[in-house]
Amino acid sequence: MSRRARLALFLPAALVLAVGLLWSFADLPPFGHYSGIYGIVLGHVAVAQREATNVVSAVTFDYRGVDTLGEEFILFAAAVGSAILLRAQRGEDAAGAAAERSDRRADVVARPVRALGAALVAPTIVLGAYIIAHGQLTPGGGFQGGVILASAAVLVYASGQYLAVRVVRGVAPIEIADALGAAGFALIAVGGLVFGLAALHNFLGYGISGSLFSAGIIPLANVAVGVEVAGGVTLIVAEFLDQALMRRRSG
Amino acid sequence: MAYVPLAVLVPMLGATFLAAARELLSRALADAVSLALGIATVTLCAIALAHSVDHTIVYWWGAWTPRPGGVALGIDFAFGPLDAGMAVFAASLTVIAGVFSWRFLAEVDALYHAILLVFLAAMVGFSLSGDLFNMFVFFELMSVSAYVLAGFKIDQRSPIEGSLNFAITNSAGAILALFGIGLVYSKTGALNLAQIGDQLGRHGVDAVVVAGFTLIVCGFLVKAAAIPFHFWLADAYAVAPTPVCILFAGAMSELGLLGVARVYWTAFAPVLDPHAEALRWTLIAIGLGTAFVGAAMSLAQHHLKRMLAFATIAYMGLFLVGIAMLSADGLAGTAIYVVGDGLVKAALFVCVGIVQHRRASLDEVDLHGRGRDLRLTAGVFVIGSLAIAGLPPFGPFLGKALVEDAAAHGHGLWWMPAVMMIASAVTAGALLRAGARVFFGWGSAGQPDESSDEAEGETEPETDKPHDHTPVLMWLPAVALLLAGLAWGVLPGLADAALRAADRYVQPNVYAAIVLHGAPPEPTTPVSLSASGASYLYGVGAVVGALMVAAAGVTRLRAVDATRPLFAWLRKLHSGHVGDYVAWLTAGVAVIGTAFAITLR
Repeated sequence: MSRRARLALFLPAALVLAVGLLWSFADLPPFGHYSGIYGIVLGHVAVAQREATNVVSAVTFDYRGVDTLGEEFILFAAAVGSAILLRAQRGEDAAGAAAERSDRRADVVARPVRALGAALVAPTIVLGAYIIAHGQLTPGGGFQGGVILASAAVLVYASGQYLAVRVVRGVAPIEIADALGAAGFALIAVGGLVFGLAALHNFLGYGISGSLFSAGIIPLANVAVGVEVAGGVTLIVAEFLDQALMRRRSG
Repeated sequence: MAYVPLAVLVPMLGATFLAAARELLSRALADAVSLALGIATVTLCAIALAHSVDHTIVYWWGAWTPRPGGVALGIDFAFGPLDAGMAVFAASLTVIAGVFSWRFLAEVDALYHAILLVFLAAMVGFSLSGDLFNMFVFFELMSVSAYVLAGFKIDQRSPIEGSLNFAITNSAGAILALFGIGLVYSKTGALNLAQIGDQLGRHGVDAVVVAGFTLIVCGFLVKAAAIPFHFWLADAYAVAPTPVCILFAGAMSELGLLGVARVYWTAFAPVLDPHAEALRWTLIAIGLGTAFVGAAMSLAQHHLKRMLAFATIAYMGLFLVGIAMLSADGLAGTAIYVVGDGLVKAALFVCVGIVQHRRASLDEVDLHGRGRDLRLTAGVFVIGSLAIAGLPPFGPFLGKALVEDAAAHGHGLWWMPAVMMIASAVTAGALLRAGARVFFGWGSAGQPDESSDEAEGETEPETDKPHDHTPVLMWLPAVALLLAGLAWGVLPGLADAALRAADRYVQPNVYAAIVLHGAPPEPTTPVSLSASGASYLYGVGAVVGALMVAAAGVTRLRAVDATRPLFAWLRKLHSGHVGDYVAWLTAGVAVIGTAFAITLR
């Protein structure tokens, strides 16, 4: 189709869709009058049942934990997938690219940027670990903390160091972390099966709500997801950087 | 009931193990480990199937059973034989695809197996889940791993393009579904399917129901490749490695339809049931449109995998017609049809894979007469093509016959069997024409550019050069799949069991009572179902029709030439431009939504 034909097809259709959506929005409960019972029930029972002061984490890691398990594997599939799709192809000189990036990268980055990047790496790691560890208490948790940890890896890159996640074609520790994190959550689910009543059923003591070691399996699940997300996001970033470097070299 | 969660957890854990240990695993070991895990998953799903035959199984993750009054805090897997059967089928095809990969894909490491297992876990989770958002999560997991599998052959350009078209179109579909789920949730405050059905059933149809239903159904229909959402499918199947095609064509698209069926019967039937007649006509229109576009396009292909891809689309349309009956007999027929067709189509894909392995080509014109000495492959391909046309007593015949009977007798659509016969005759005729030219060298060789716009560019070999012989692990799956397709059609008691299962499937109130209130299952009444005498005539008619279509194609009758402008126009619509696809998708949602808005009130 020509550009015009495509637009002639798309625009009226999009208009109809928009009108239909607005029409349906008009039938939704008015703002502030949401009638769903889920949040109300959880607001009353979650802290008592789970000893988790961050009710959101009780929902994501326990009540609806299997959703999170699936989402964690979406990221795992995306990370493994980028490793597959961006793998060094025959004829692409992976070793050469590796040599190039170690030589030149440090000279390209301005010194203030390097200094700032280097200075921020350690605090970022601490922040990421903090967010993961306090997932059951305050907003945050494995996904958020894991992304923060991965951004520490990006800071390393920004400050002039190539992300040495793999030596030419070997398997990176970061890839193993990604897999182990994903496995961790699945194993917690199996733990519920072995020691509890059902998969993902809590099988640890609940502790006292508000303390660091509380809420049963939730902190454990947060750590597993944190490791997986940190590994997965770092892997994806590294694969894309690899690809960009190879392209620059070949083109 | 530990087998329920393990059916998902085993392939997931297996995938992480293969990814973590891939440096330590040789190719053979990775093959063996993933085969063992696949068989374990098949077994777990089979146990689930066996348990669900008499009553719906409900499994609450984290042991969060609903609170009194039927408020679900947690997520359940709730399934009957149709859902568990789909899981068994998907898992079995994964095992077969894995075995076929052993010799077919030269360059894979454990990551390929890992992603295949993630895909399997997603299919099983989607098949069993009883929660709307959880279905979406597994749907997305299925999509992400499928994008990777489709684009696996990165050393060629077209897989990346096909995979990208696949990813963009399906992500757009997923966004639609997510929006619909959001609308339903803001209306009902529930994500559990039974609870949604319970809530929606208390009020009449309003704009939220119409919009939510439209968006969720369209989201699933993108995966099911109904028109006008089907464009991505041929691009993706044409470039995906052939073992992966077996899975895509046999299970993934069908799971889109399973999503439509489950969401309708558990969540929307309580409110939409009074409008079933109107809904039926819309779905029939989409289904038949899909069937004929798929049939015509498969006739217009020379690239064997694209031809099979369009054949898949054609049969998806016929399955949708079966579901559109919105009745137990139509659903039972569809379930049988899906598996029978999936088995035979998988055999056909394996045959194409063997041709590709031996001749390093996929183009009907280029391969003309070059398949003469592949006798076994020729036999399987020809019999398989006749079987999916509807040759009794193969599995596809039984399924098609039951769908036709449901339409003609249950709903007074006397013309439906004839229409379905024509669609399957044309589709199978295209395959037979290709078979006659490739394996027997009949007809003229033709010019490469004869009518094939995709001949170049997408026929790059997956296996680098032609091989001298066909490994056992290639021809054995082909023969086994064809025999399984035959067995599926003659399995005693199958149709009765399917009807019993479908009877339970179409009763949302019974489902809700079991899921939300732990009600004991109602005793099922014995039923019996078999293909009517007339359906044998339609089956034979479809076979004769397919042979005529093939003969016309081989001999290049003048009448065939006369239809060329029509095909040229149709092919032009399938442009390969992802912007076109998204425009069509938007238009499709707008039209279907408008149809629902007008008729479902």
